[in-house]
Amino acid sequence: MYLDLRSALVREGNRVTFFGLPIALHCHHYNINLQKTAEDILGAEGIELLFRAAEEASYMGFKAIMGWYDRIKTIKSKLELAASVYQNCGLGVIHFQQIDPKKGRVVSTSSYHVTGWLAKHGIRSTPGCHFSRGWIAGVLEVIYDRPIGYFAVNERACKMMRKEKCIFEVKER
Amino acid sequence: MEGSRIRDEKGIIPIFGVYLSLFFVQYYNRLSFDFERRLGEERQAEAEAYLIQAAQECGYATFHGLLNSWEWENLVKPMIEKEEDKLLGFTAVALAAGWGDLSIRSLIPGEKLVVYVNESYEATGYLQSHGRAGSGKCFMLRGVTGAFMDVLYGEDYPDGCFTFLAEEPLCRAKGDVHCEFEVHKKS
Repeated sequence: MYLDLRSALVREGNRVTFFGLPIALHCHHYNINLQKTAEDILGAEGIELLFRAAEEASYMGFKAIMGWYDRIKTIKSKLELAASVYQNCGLGVIHFQQIDPKKGRVVSTSSYHVTGWLAKHGIRSTPGCHFSRGWIAGVLEVIYDRPIGYFAVNERACKMMRKEKCIFEVKER
Repeated sequence: MEGSRIRDEKGIIPIFGVYLSLFFVQYYNRLSFDFERRLGEERQAEAEAYLIQAAQECGYATFHGLLNSWEWENLVKPMIEKEEDKLLGFTAVALAAGWGDLSIRSLIPGEKLVVYVNESYEATGYLQSHGRAGSGKCFMLRGVTGAFMDVLYGEDYPDGCFTFLAEEPLCRAKGDVHCEFEVHKKS
């Protein structure tokens, strides 16, 4: 799907907005430092915070994006749009597979957070794509018109552990 | 955002020696302010330090990479008359990255930098979600302004990181008119 993101990335005074909402560009050092800090200091609570923060922002953001592309009606097209946004925001490549309103499987063959983590810290012993889990939950909640917190997303395989790809399992909470 | 084969194939944006991504500031504010709140008042200084350091390392790597890029060499360097002009290039990049409208107020080379910001997304976000703060909330910008001085006046990369430290005596989140950052060498 061709997506003209340039028209949605706008400078409004001293802010930069994306589909009308303020955005920021950050490097992998910042994102991975925030992740490691949250994990190291808060443990499981930090992991949940990373997930929730991504889910809420993803939900709010994708809702705004769907407002721009209100002629996109089918689920398949909305999932393609979400994958395009993910890729064009430098977050990686993501494929929604076997998705329905109750469950699904999502595969990522390339990931910003994986690339950043491996560059800074090397291999992990546990899955580390908490941002992506939250991001997936948020967009699916918009696509299927569910409230924030509706979907649980678990990571069954992670490239940070040197698996071939990241595999996410989606289900209702 | 266009013309990148790696972005097209892998959805990754490598530039200036780092990997960039673009996301809503709500994520960063939620993460930072919730992290600070969960550590509690007793550990506030510790929470601030973690958040500032996370950004300072990013700023240091990014602006070092920027200074050594083809784009800087060919587009910016011809306009540089003195060392301190580099700061103007840095603030332009910060604005383009959505970090806020940083303006250099004063500089004592190698010693002290003062930066004003009118629209920090951190201050705006804190006010919107938590109301008025009792202390400054622009941790990312404290790190970035510290990194400006690290890059210009610290030891050679990568040893110069965290040479300088920024305080935020004024912050819009506290009700001040603008955010102010004072960067000094760490004692």
